[in-house]
Amino acid sequence: MNSNKTNELIEFQNVSKNYKNLLALDKISFIINKGDVFGYIGPNGAGKTTTIKIIVGLIRDYSGIVYFNGKDISKNHYLIHKFIGYHPQDAGFQDWRTVNHVMYTFGLLSGLKGNVLEDKIQKTLDFVNLLDERNKKVKYLSGGTLQKLRLAQALINEPEILILDEPLSGLDPSSRYQIKNLIKLLSKQGKTILFSSHILSDVQDVANKVGILNRGKILRIGTPEELQNEFNIGNEIEIEYANDNEIFLNIDSLACIQTIDKLASYKQVLHLKPEFNLDSAINQILSFLIHNKSKIRNFRTIKPSLEDVYLKYVKGDNQ
Amino acid sequence: MNLRILFVDELKGFYKSKVMLILWFGMPFLTLLMHFLNPDLGELPVSILVALLISSIGGTLSAALLSTSIANEKSHHVYDLFLVKPVSRYSILLAKYFAVYLCLIIATGISLITGLIIDTCTSGSLPEYIIQNTLDSLSVSLAAMSISCSIGIFFGILVSSVPVAVILSVYIGNQVSAVSILTTTFIDFINPSMFSIIIGVITTVLFIGISIIVFNRKQF
Repeated sequence: MNSNKTNELIEFQNVSKNYKNLLALDKISFIINKGDVFGYIGPNGAGKTTTIKIIVGLIRDYSGIVYFNGKDISKNHYLIHKFIGYHPQDAGFQDWRTVNHVMYTFGLLSGLKGNVLEDKIQKTLDFVNLLDERNKKVKYLSGGTLQKLRLAQALINEPEILILDEPLSGLDPSSRYQIKNLIKLLSKQGKTILFSSHILSDVQDVANKVGILNRGKILRIGTPEELQNEFNIGNEIEIEYANDNEIFLNIDSLACIQTIDKLASYKQVLHLKPEFNLDSAINQILSFLIHNKSKIRNFRTIKPSLEDVYLKYVKGDNQ
Repeated sequence: MNLRILFVDELKGFYKSKVMLILWFGMPFLTLLMHFLNPDLGELPVSILVALLISSIGGTLSAALLSTSIANEKSHHVYDLFLVKPVSRYSILLAKYFAVYLCLIIATGISLITGLIIDTCTSGSLPEYIIQNTLDSLSVSLAAMSISCSIGIFFGILVSSVPVAVILSVYIGNQVSAVSILTTTFIDFINPSMFSIIIGVITTVLFIGISIIVFNRKQF
C-alpha cells in the first residue's frame, strides 16, 4: 500500500515497538512534511532513538507502517537509504581511519566516485569546518569534532532528509553553538531535518514543528507557538519599581492573580490565572498600580516557554 | 559493488594492524631464526615446519583479531553508520573475512618462500618431495586459517564481551582447525590436501553462514 500525499516525507501510522517486556513505542502516528525542521523531544528512554532507528532501517521488527515519500520503508530500505543522512547518537568510527578516509568510504558507499567524490568531501568538510583536520586520525578527535564528522558523513550524499539523533549531547557550549548554527544553516537551505533532543533549548529556536514524546507515546505535536499558546499554563507579569517604592503584596487581591513571587524588594512576578484573559488582567493590574500611585520602572509580560509546556506535558503524563 | 568497496576498506584497516605486522615480518624472521638456531627437526624440512607454525600462530592471531574487531565495532555502534547506506549485512562480514584471509595468505607466502630458500641453500637443491610436502602443508595451513577466521567472525557476532569473544574464538578456533591438520596425520589413506580443503571449506561456510543469519536478524 502506498501513501500518496505529495508534501509528506515521513509518515508514521500506529507504530509500536516492544523490547521483550518493555513497550518502547506505543502506536505513535505523526507526519513530517518536506522542508520541516522537526524537533523530537522527550526525556531519556522516551523512545526517540527507537523511532529514528525505525526510519533509518536499523530496527525492522515493529508493528504499524512507516512511509517515506509514500513508500513503505519496510519494503524499500535500499531505495530509501540514498535519500537519508543519519547522524547517530553515539556511533564510533574505526580508530585507524582519518577524517578524510571516513568521508571517502561513506562517499563511495553512497555511490559517489572520482572527482565528484573528492569535490563533495572538500565542500562538506569545509561546511562543517573540518578541512584542517582532514588528515587527523579519528581516535585523536575531540567530542565536538567527532560530532561534526558524524554530521559531515551524513551530508556527503546530499540527503533529502537529515536525521540527527541527539546531535548536541555531551558537547561543550562552544561546540553546541557551532553544531546548532550548522543545523540552522541547513534548515535555511531548505533541508528537511528531524532531530531529537532531551534539552528544550536545543529545539526551541531551530524547529518549526515539535513532537513531545514520553514513555513511548506522542503527547503533542505542533509548532512551538501553537504549543505555547494552546497549552494554557498562564502568563506571568514582571514588575519592577523605583527603589523607594515597596512592592505591593496586596495586589494578590486582584481576581486575575494566582500567586506572587517576590524577586527583590523592588521586583515581583505575578502569576496570572490560566483562565484569565491577558489584556483584561493587564488592565486590572495597571489600574491597581495607578490607583496606588506606584513608581513603575519596568512592566513586562512573560509568556510560558516551550520548556514550561514540555514539563507540564511530561509531568502530567508521568502522574 | 559495495562488497568490493568494503573489502578494500577493511584491507586498509587490517594490513596496518599490529597483528598483521607480526605475521608479515615476524614469521619470516622466525623462519630465519629456526635455521640459525638449527634445532633438531629430524627429517622435517624448514618449509613444512613454517607452514605448521603459520597455521597455528596465524590462525590464532586472526581469530583473535576478527573477534576483537567485530565485538568492538558492535559495542561502539560502528555498523549503525554502514547499515544506513546501501550495504547488505552479509557483505560487511564477508569483506572482513576476505581482507584478513588475504593478509594471511600473503604472510604465509612470504614465510614459506623464506623456508624454501633456506631449504634450497641448506641442501644445495630443492628435491621434489619437499615441494610436494610444502604444497600439502600449505593447503592444510590455509584451510586451518580459514576455519580460524570464520570462527573469529562467529564469536565476534555472537558475543558482546570482547575478552569472552577472544577466548572462545581462539580456543574453539584452535580445536576445530586442528581437525583439518591432525586427521591427515593419523589416517594414511586420506589425501591431506584434499581432505583439509574440503573440511576447511565446509567449516568456513557453516560458521560464516550462521554468523550472517545472526547478523541479519540483529536489531541495532
